Amino acid sequence: MSVIEVHDLRRVFRTSIGVLRRRVKEIVAVDGISFQIREGELFGLLGPNGAGKTTTVKMLTTLLIPTSGSARILDCDVVDQAQQIRPHIGFIFGGERGLYWRLSARDNLRYFANLYLVEPDVTRRRIPYLLELVGLADRAEEKVEGFSRGMKQRLHIARTLLHDPQILFLDEPTMGLDPVGARELRSVVRDLLAERKTILLTTHYMFEADELCQRLAVINHGKIVALDTPAGLKELVQDLSVVQMEVLGIAAERVQRLRELPFIDAVSVEPHEQKQILTIHSSLGSGAVPQVLSVLDGLRVDKVTSREPTLEDAYVRLVGGEG
Amino acid sequence: MNRHLPGLRVFFSSAYYSYIALFRWFRPAQYIASKVVMPLAQILFFAFLGMYTSGTRDPSYYVIGNAIQLAAVSGIYGVTMSVGGERWAGTLGYLFGSPANRMLIFVGRAFMHVIDGMLGVVLGLVWGTLLLGVDMSHTDLGALSLTILITTVSTSGMGLLMGCLGLISRNVMFINNTVYFLLLALGGANVPVESLPGWVQRVSYLLPLTRGIAAARLLIDGGTLRGVAVLLGGELLVGAVYIILGYVLFRQFEFLAKKRGTLEVM
Amino acid sequence: MVNTGERRRRLRSYLRTIGQVFVLQFKQTAIDGFIIFTILVQPLLIALMGLWMLRGQQDNYAVFVVIGSGMTGLWSSLLYISGSNINVERWLGTLEMLVGTPTPLAVTVIGKTLSNVVMSLVSMVLGYILAAIIFRFPLSISQPLPFLISLLLTVVAFSAFGLLIAPFFAINLQLQRWVNALEFPMYILAGFMFPIALLPSWTTPLSYALAPYWAARALHATSSGTPAPRELLLSWGMMLVFSVLYVAISGWLFRVMVRRARVDATLSLQ
Repeated sequence: MSVIEVHDLRRVFRTSIGVLRRRVKEIVAVDGISFQIREGELFGLLGPNGAGKTTTVKMLTTLLIPTSGSARILDCDVVDQAQQIRPHIGFIFGGERGLYWRLSARDNLRYFANLYLVEPDVTRRRIPYLLELVGLADRAEEKVEGFSRGMKQRLHIARTLLHDPQILFLDEPTMGLDPVGARELRSVVRDLLAERKTILLTTHYMFEADELCQRLAVINHGKIVALDTPAGLKELVQDLSVVQMEVLGIAAERVQRLRELPFIDAVSVEPHEQKQILTIHSSLGSGAVPQVLSVLDGLRVDKVTSREPTLEDAYVRLVGGEG
Repeated sequence: MNRHLPGLRVFFSSAYYSYIALFRWFRPAQYIASKVVMPLAQILFFAFLGMYTSGTRDPSYYVIGNAIQLAAVSGIYGVTMSVGGERWAGTLGYLFGSPANRMLIFVGRAFMHVIDGMLGVVLGLVWGTLLLGVDMSHTDLGALSLTILITTVSTSGMGLLMGCLGLISRNVMFINNTVYFLLLALGGANVPVESLPGWVQRVSYLLPLTRGIAAARLLIDGGTLRGVAVLLGGELLVGAVYIILGYVLFRQFEFLAKKRGTLEVM
Repeated sequence: MVNTGERRRRLRSYLRTIGQVFVLQFKQTAIDGFIIFTILVQPLLIALMGLWMLRGQQDNYAVFVVIGSGMTGLWSSLLYISGSNINVERWLGTLEMLVGTPTPLAVTVIGKTLSNVVMSLVSMVLGYILAAIIFRFPLSISQPLPFLISLLLTVVAFSAFGLLIAPFFAINLQLQRWVNALEFPMYILAGFMFPIALLPSWTTPLSYALAPYWAARALHATSSGTPAPRELLLSWGMMLVFSVLYVAISGWLFRVMVRRARVDATLSLQ
């Protein structure tokens, strides 16, 4: 069942330039994107800065009205039925803002708990738990204005879980967190997933997307350029998988035989000290190794390394290296 | 002559930029609101209040008092922001570091506000004549113009001092607003200085505007320049003291800032 | 559909929010110089001026001046503080957060406005103390109970007005530039510090259209005069009518403001 349905979503921003003669410039931030997210899925939105990730999230969290197209969350329209959606979603945009500096962490949470209509007895139990979860239990009484960026981010995470929403929108949640904090957050995300929450995550950290997301949409210039599982995306760049072998005394004729193998894209030979380094590009990746070795039968093969394509390879291929 | 030219250029350019900066911050609507509507409203309010509390039908006393007091709008708010504003714009460091003659920059900033202030006062008096029947027929206009000039200068002098205080205080607007209203209360615009308690009177005479307003009232009533000369001299002196105090404070900050290596003098 | 149990729970949450915001606003303003000036210093200085101007004149009007200066504080705080309630949240970056919650924006604005209005009344009390103790003006409220009712209705009317101008100033940021110009005119037209009888008669309809005028009329009448019951009922009635009107319009304005902000992407500063 689709919990989030996005159909041809578009968002145009108009800015005026100049003081006396005002010209209107139109920027298309999101240019007709469509996707669906099922219940209990962790869906990723991957793309460079300015690709339209945050704009998309803002539209889905009812904070921005699309220029055209539609989006439905829990079968409610984000534009006209926003009040019905808001109790069930939580969102983080990160950054320094969105918290009351002069209040303590605990007071911030109490305030937002009320705004999210959480009952007082539930709030009483949940706040200490959440503070513990994000590692702010010992700083709970301090004013937020003294917090580091990472601490503010963690407080945002606690805030977004106050009302135990069914759907979470996490816009670059590990931005600003140190590696330990980021790892903790990712484990929290996995726990949430285990609770059958639906999560939309935007990020530009490849390994994070690879590690966490079940499906990914790669977005660039407001358009989705690919939508697949991480494995599926990596297959797009299977041609980039490389096997390198150090051999001793290979003859040109043997190299030619390698090249003639059907699954081999390219073979290059590079002399290195006394040996030669064979670089083999193949759509089978490391799966080509056995057959290659059989062709090289009799030769001394010293080192075999293979490099699998990463999500980053796929991303760079898709986004064109501009991001 | 050539030696003075760079100085003059610094003076005028800092005056010019001060005004431009002000305009960029204000917009036409805001300018009209604060230079036309607000002063008129203030004059009207105190004119009626004065007529009510004193039982007279002629609001001239109050109109003249408030019209001259309007010099404080640009003298306090305008000048203070010009100086104190440096800190917020982050350009204070440049100011401290430049080799140009400090005094000229300092005073140059106030210059445009003096012009602005005079215009405000004149506009106030025009409103008074048009709407509230103030009789200007016996006035020595030249003397009155001089009075307005001197009063605006002295008020701007106080503004310069306030501006320097604004460099160390976070509550610039609080200081501005309070000073503005104190001048309104103690400068004789609405409350005759003689009817104030003794010690408060002494404070009144330490402030700008007090003598200027008194002089303006005398002149509009038909007085001569000679008759108000002492008052004008006093007003000018008060202004000079404030300017010097402000300048001293400014140089002190500069010294402290350089010594401590920081512009955060708080 | 929402059942009554749920609705009651929701209302209780709203009330809790209002309470929290009320207290929050107190804490915030205690340290804000600008707010202290507007709510405390300016009205006191105006009271001082009024009282000094009265020296040697009739002493009966002292109460009038004290009440009147308190009202100038109420109005100025409404203009400068309540008017910018929403814009301040936007500047803090919390407006987005607020809109994204199930609680309507108006609820937090009500809390803030109530807080501002109540705090302004403090300045009225201080003015009273100033006049009574320092100046030793005779200060007796001629009709205490009706005065209290008038005061309560004043709080309601001004709060309703605050609820109206917050979204108004949020929609049209240009208007915030005009607040300076709206301060004194209200003092004049609403008859805070002097009766509107002093003004030219063509301004009277303007005065009647202002809720603060009716508040001032009721407060002055019950503190320094002997009003007929009909006169009081008229003033009270007008305050209630205006309050209802302001609340109704504000409901619509909030919807417009939030919708517009969602379209124009102005819930946050870019």
